[in-house]
Amino acid sequence: MKNPYQPIEAIIEDIILETPNIKTFVLRPKEYIEFQTGQFVEFGLAGVGEAPFTPSSNPNVKEKIELTIMKVGRLTNKLHILEKGTIATLRGPYGKGYPLDEFKGKDILIVGGGVGLAPLRSLIYALLAHPQDYKNIIIRYGARTPQDLLYKKEILAWSNFKNVNLVTTVDTADNSWKGNVGVVTTILKDLPLNIKNAVAIVCGPPIMMKFTTLKLLELRFSPESIYLSMERNMSCGLGKCGHCRIGKYYVCRDGPVFRYEEIMNIADIWG
Amino acid sequence: MERLFFPKERLFDFFNFVNEEYCLYLPVRIEGRQIVCDYNFNLPSADYILKKYSLLKKEDFEFNPYRTIEPLKSFLNYPKEIVCEYFSKELTIQDKKIAIFGVKNCDLFSLKIQDFVFLQGDYTDPLYKKRRENLFIISSDCLSFKEVCFCLAYDINPYPESGFDLNFSSLDEGFLVEVGSDKAKALLEKKGFLFEKIPSRLNTELLSKRENITTQLKEHIKSHALPKKEVLKEIINKGYNSKLWQEEMFNCVECGGCNFICDTCHCFLLSESGSETVFKKIRSWDSCQYANFAKEAGGANPLNTRAKRLRNRFLKKFDFFIDNLGLPACCGCGRCIETCPAKIDIRKILKSLYEESLSAN
Repeated sequence: MKNPYQPIEAIIEDIILETPNIKTFVLRPKEYIEFQTGQFVEFGLAGVGEAPFTPSSNPNVKEKIELTIMKVGRLTNKLHILEKGTIATLRGPYGKGYPLDEFKGKDILIVGGGVGLAPLRSLIYALLAHPQDYKNIIIRYGARTPQDLLYKKEILAWSNFKNVNLVTTVDTADNSWKGNVGVVTTILKDLPLNIKNAVAIVCGPPIMMKFTTLKLLELRFSPESIYLSMERNMSCGLGKCGHCRIGKYYVCRDGPVFRYEEIMNIADIWG
Repeated sequence: MERLFFPKERLFDFFNFVNEEYCLYLPVRIEGRQIVCDYNFNLPSADYILKKYSLLKKEDFEFNPYRTIEPLKSFLNYPKEIVCEYFSKELTIQDKKIAIFGVKNCDLFSLKIQDFVFLQGDYTDPLYKKRRENLFIISSDCLSFKEVCFCLAYDINPYPESGFDLNFSSLDEGFLVEVGSDKAKALLEKKGFLFEKIPSRLNTELLSKRENITTQLKEHIKSHALPKKEVLKEIINKGYNSKLWQEEMFNCVECGGCNFICDTCHCFLLSESGSETVFKKIRSWDSCQYANFAKEAGGANPLNTRAKRLRNRFLKKFDFFIDNLGLPACCGCGRCIETCPAKIDIRKILKSLYEESLSAN
């Protein structure tokens, strides 16, 4: 019988410095881990610990997985001082990802905040693998400062797709910044989409998801057309340890992606 | 189901042969706290714990009239244990067959919750599965109850009717034994026990004993005015913003005792240990009353106050489990009431929530 607590080895092939406190780890697992975009893995270090991360890489690439990780706590501080060639641990994938089938033939609005663009990058790769399946792909991305913006090269590349419309913003600008200034909800206007046939996918810190959701509802998005990536403390990833409960759901088992409709009546969902 | 009768003096023969196949645990009496009771019943003060039969003297054993101190879950998931050794090693799960005598119906109810968590869903817990398969459950009817017992409030009877391998009902002349599983039947047949027709006077005695204990317990829990299980989900959600959570939590010392002694609580935490070559994942029981239970990386904590954590315990038991399994995750064993140094009483909280929901209407 397979032991669900058993991790596999994954070699860290490359480490990309994205921003002063965010790095992307390029992993080559010993066995293929096939994930659907939006699902998460438990990534960590033997003898140190593990934590849930949603891959930021293309789900169609089997032999490698990329995780974009911000330095925020005990484990991520340790991860950030690692060097290439280190052997790390991986379990998964777990949970339910983005339901791509439900997105087909629709306008897709993707709203990211900070490191929340990481899972969305994986989604964008998956969408752009078959861009003709979707109408407009509208990406709105906000970070705190210009130097906190992730994936600057990819952002340029995505903008070149015919049906992609991409706008970024920063909360606080510096002298070099010529773009929008303001939180991400300030660039959610004049969206080139048909609300009646559109979905919105949001990922970012809880406060950003809350206000983005309120803004989307104001724009007449229906609660069932808004997809959120919920965040809770997870330990096992298997739907057993009990830590990530919201209402009748476990985030690890029933999420991490939820339609707003599913969770809107649960108290204190924003944490 | 097949039944047989055997006289009291044959009990130790039975223990001996069970112990040949299993490591048998028996209840042993220890002196408990003195119970001050307001309900005119002369409630017992003794407690019972489970000990290995092989280490006991004959006179140590006593047919436990109610549940033991330890919850049944402690035989299936240990408070702290290795769940995985990596990278190269396969986890070795000890293949130990255990039989427990004196399991009560509250424990059998709770097993449904634990089975759901560890055997159902996309992943099966290999340690739990092995131990569950190796567990031989010899349950028995309750002969009396503790002050804290309230199983009947949830329609859980003080006598088992399913979920056991064997069930013992204590009658005047001996034990009426009901067979609940094929493995129990095979074991009895192997040892030459014969299944006979049970004389009707024994059946009558059984029914009257069961009715008697049920009536007494019903009378006992009446004073607590506990809500029926059908309204639990509603009153917990209605009482989400009740002041009660805060008031009750003033005395909580966050010991986690209520969770650890609870027959249905199952939460755990994974941690790491290990050396240069072999690493281990350790699973420890966790408590949702601990300050860091829900704390996320970066510092956010949805359960950052004691009141929220107490409410979480009730939402998990009476909202989450009713939605996910159709059962409340409480068996009325009252272990949490006995354990709590702050005297936080689940019966009082449920009663208050019920009253608040009525006055809100």
